[in-house]
Amino acid sequence: MKIRSLPIFVICLIAAGLASIASTAGVLLRTRPDAYTMTVAGIVLFMLASAAGLLAGTVLRGNCRSVARRLANQIAGGSIERVPLKDAEMRPLTTAINDLVDYTNLKISDSRLRFKELEIQLKVAHAERQHAEAIIKSISDAVLVTDRFDELVLANESAARALQFKTTQPRRTPVDKVVSDEKVIELIREMRQSGSTNGRRIVEHKTKVGGVDRTYKITLSCVADDSQGGENREPAGVVCVLHDMTREKEIAQMKNDFVSHVSHELRTPLASIRAYVEMLVDGEAHDEKTRGEFYEIIQSEANRLGRLIDNILSISRIESGLVKVNKKPVSLSVILKEAIEVIAPQAKTKNITIEERVPPAFYQTNADKDMLYQAVLNLMSNSVKYTPEGGNLTIESVVDELSNNVVTRITDNGVGIPAKDLPFVFDKFYRVEANSKMAKGTGLGLSLVKHIIENVHQGKVFVNSEVGKGSTFGFELTLV
Amino acid sequence: MSEKTILVADDESHILNVVSLKLRNAGFKVITARDGQEAYELANTEKPDLLITDYHMPQMSGIELCRKLKESDATAKIPAIMLTARGYSLEPGDTEQSGINQLISKPFSPRQLLTAVNEVLGLAA
Repeated sequence: MKIRSLPIFVICLIAAGLASIASTAGVLLRTRPDAYTMTVAGIVLFMLASAAGLLAGTVLRGNCRSVARRLANQIAGGSIERVPLKDAEMRPLTTAINDLVDYTNLKISDSRLRFKELEIQLKVAHAERQHAEAIIKSISDAVLVTDRFDELVLANESAARALQFKTTQPRRTPVDKVVSDEKVIELIREMRQSGSTNGRRIVEHKTKVGGVDRTYKITLSCVADDSQGGENREPAGVVCVLHDMTREKEIAQMKNDFVSHVSHELRTPLASIRAYVEMLVDGEAHDEKTRGEFYEIIQSEANRLGRLIDNILSISRIESGLVKVNKKPVSLSVILKEAIEVIAPQAKTKNITIEERVPPAFYQTNADKDMLYQAVLNLMSNSVKYTPEGGNLTIESVVDELSNNVVTRITDNGVGIPAKDLPFVFDKFYRVEANSKMAKGTGLGLSLVKHIIENVHQGKVFVNSEVGKGSTFGFELTLV
Repeated sequence: MSEKTILVADDESHILNVVSLKLRNAGFKVITARDGQEAYELANTEKPDLLITDYHMPQMSGIELCRKLKESDATAKIPAIMLTARGYSLEPGDTEQSGINQLISKPFSPRQLLTAVNEVLGLAA
């Protein structure tokens, strides 16, 4: 049995035994001071000293173990505290241990603080990244971000649509495994290899998306890597932005076509005016009759030019929304009757009879009277122009109370329109070639009618026609 | 000087009339056509010394007419002046391909047209 495991009272018993042996030895030395006694007493005292030493060592070792155990338990528990002083003999050790405990506790507290800071920084960085991603994802342009290994780091929905891939691709997939457009891959690679972190490259790229032609303006720029110092630092990646300019291109083309058409249409009457004026100035019209004809031509061509300009301006103002629309309840029948009065003299010169079938005036539509009048007049004027001498014109308006609509039809028995031209007759500057000799036109009248009825009054225009039999032009409007 | 014949083609009757009058007053014989097809037929039957044609015409455009005339040996040598309101410009090689010698933009001056006619026909103004 080991001494350190002896209970305290056993140690006390041994101590008491040793004390009694020591007192017995002292008594013996005083009563019988011979050699034998001296030897026995010496042995007793030696044993006594050894036992005392043993006892003191045992107690010290016990204290050390207790401190060690306490520290071990505290470490396991996650916090360490100062050790209380139990024994004067242990003061230096206890002091050293406590200094170590204080130092360690300070370091732990510092580390905890730093950990908290890093945790906050991480959360902020995460939030910022999510914010940046949300911004990129909300951009209507297609955005692709790649890293220095040409792996896709980020792409928004627009990019997925434009380049036809799924946004569920895992992060850092090589861009050529995600995007199939060779040109885009090549541009990203070239930009990354160029290493230019200041400056961007803009490229126009024509491609097909789902079989439809599209034009993109691609803007590429390198992302600078801030962790690298020096002049020749490598780019951390490439940002590629694809702006769909298909519609812009179409609008530019339409604008171009419009200007080209307008200039052509304006030049034609102007050419006649200029030529005839010059002929008059040069005295090339030799008789009064010819000069009279020239004056009439100049006048009619000037009027044509004026009408053309009016129509162009009206269409342009309606299209751009600049025109002031003054809508109020008006009687369509009143407008039709007014227009018939204006057109009647023209019809009379060609012996065209006008049949009028209009409903009572109390049926009203919410309309801009002047605009609706212009639309009706354009339709009637067309019918008279394209109907040969002695023809008929029927103007009818039918109210459908059930659907709260009024349908107006202007029917002639004129030249008619070939089926191939019918879908385009309301288009700007479209003229039916087969009928171009029949009358002069700007190709804007019907386009203006469509604008007035459909854009301004939310109605619907329609046309039915058969070559040689005649045409019916009309529109449908909602009643008040 | 034998009387030169000029074929004028334009779907705009006012232009057709004014050009014809200017040329007749200058002593030319003028024949007229209202579209490209009619002009093509007249060019083949009448063999004019010069063609003045509008660019934009029904049936056959001015440029198609000139190219078609250039294809046939009988009409290939007829020089042409084109009137245009479209801002069309002559590309290098157009003269060889279509036989168009001059391009005149509408609105034009009849005096300027007459000068061009004399120039193309090699006549003193």
